[in-house]
Amino acid sequence: MSDWLWGLFQSWGWSESAFNVVMGVIKGLLVTTFLAVNALVLVLMERKVSGRIQRRPGPLRTGPRGLLQTFADAIKLLSKEDIVPSGADVAVFVLAPMVFFAAATALWIVIPFGPQTIVQDLNIGLIYISAVTGLSVLAILMAGWSSNNKWSLLGAMRSAAQLVSYEIPLVLSIVAIGMMAGSLRLSDIVAAQQGGITNWFIFPQILGFLVFFTAGLAEINRAPFDLPEAESELVAGYNTEYSGMRWAIFFLAEYANLVAFSALAATFFFGGPTGPIFPPIVWFLIKTYFFIFVAMWIRWTLPRIRVDHLMNLGWYVLIPLALINLGWTGLYVVLRG
Amino acid sequence: MDLARMAFLALAAVAVVSAFRVVTAPKIMHAALWLGFTFFLVAGVFITLGAEFLAAAQVLVYVGAVTTIILFGIMLSQAAEVRSREPVPVEPLEGTALWRRGVLPVVGTVAFVAIMIMVYLRAPWPTPATGAVDTVRLIGSALFTTYVIPFELAAVLLLIALVGAIVLAVRDDDKEEQGS
Repeated sequence: MSDWLWGLFQSWGWSESAFNVVMGVIKGLLVTTFLAVNALVLVLMERKVSGRIQRRPGPLRTGPRGLLQTFADAIKLLSKEDIVPSGADVAVFVLAPMVFFAAATALWIVIPFGPQTIVQDLNIGLIYISAVTGLSVLAILMAGWSSNNKWSLLGAMRSAAQLVSYEIPLVLSIVAIGMMAGSLRLSDIVAAQQGGITNWFIFPQILGFLVFFTAGLAEINRAPFDLPEAESELVAGYNTEYSGMRWAIFFLAEYANLVAFSALAATFFFGGPTGPIFPPIVWFLIKTYFFIFVAMWIRWTLPRIRVDHLMNLGWYVLIPLALINLGWTGLYVVLRG
Repeated sequence: MDLARMAFLALAAVAVVSAFRVVTAPKIMHAALWLGFTFFLVAGVFITLGAEFLAAAQVLVYVGAVTTIILFGIMLSQAAEVRSREPVPVEPLEGTALWRRGVLPVVGTVAFVAIMIMVYLRAPWPTPATGAVDTVRLIGSALFTTYVIPFELAAVLLLIALVGAIVLAVRDDDKEEQGS
């Protein structure tokens, strides 16, 4: 499609830089649309899955079988009053959701939807992912501090401690993937797993997968690691003072992070957008949605972990496991030749 | 003017303004956020110069880790001056303050600019590589062949710093327990 557009632009006499700008805008719009549509689906899915697990039907009244529930939610959020607390630091308060959303969207630049379908196939893909995931901490700290509210501040502090601790095992498990594929480029990682289930990285990297999945759930603040928000303790943590659309942007970005995390789990360990019969994009969605479902399943069946247990799990269990996995991966790569 | 040059100029201009705001922002929290923004823009400058790896490392280390730790430190700090949301009162430029905040910064800045210009004029710049180069591979092999000793030394230094930080933190805890 890119080549076809380039031909069209040349026939109009446009320069290459103009073409690059237009392509960037188009790709950005496509990714944002993809994320928005996913959020619509996921809000309903989350409600239905939680309902199923709690033996209740979930939303049923809006539309057939409750299918239009998300639209009702979105309209409610849009029509709500936008409240900025009087003691808040307005500039930082307004910027925080934008930074959070930008960080969540930036991750999608390197995720491959299919063999050629990738926004920008960076040669530093894995490092880029590690770098971008660190940005959301900054947004959460901004939100928590600027709200001028002790729960928000406590939530932000917890979040910073949690995200900084869990970023280490997450990055270590990603490094092992880079070693397996011999490249930091995500399309190379997918290519290295081509040719049937036996080539998937999940088998040599089972330990790495467990570390990645646990640390990843903590990185995206999903239960049982949702301590930064913990309704029952912190009244929703860093987003206590946010309402209406600003809150919705945090919400949207969290779902974007959930989809990105599931897509990365599928790409790193389960062959990404490859599979028989169906086109790559279908396989991408099947694998991604499987991990989204697992994350929801975990959220609604496990209780929230305690703060000190959270830190112990991160530092005493996940980091040593990630280091062992790194050693094993080195051995594996050398022995494989 | 091509796109990369325009992007470079825009990023550099905003970075200078943002760096100026770091030292002039009245609230320390804002100063820290401006600092993070400056680091981010510098990463952008690296990208326009074709150093993607350096840019990612810059965001990972400086924006993701250093700025976060600074913000965390400010939030944990007990000092009223740091915690307060009010702007810090500015002391008048006289006596030691004139020396400390007026003369020294000017001398330091002029000296730094002079050194940078000298480096720019004298240094033997490598010729830009042609075609697509895998910078990550180049950096990796350079680090583990030509520069392996400095690399390992830096690793040992970081390890020492890590152990030192733990020793300091543990000692503080013991003191508090004895005191209470």
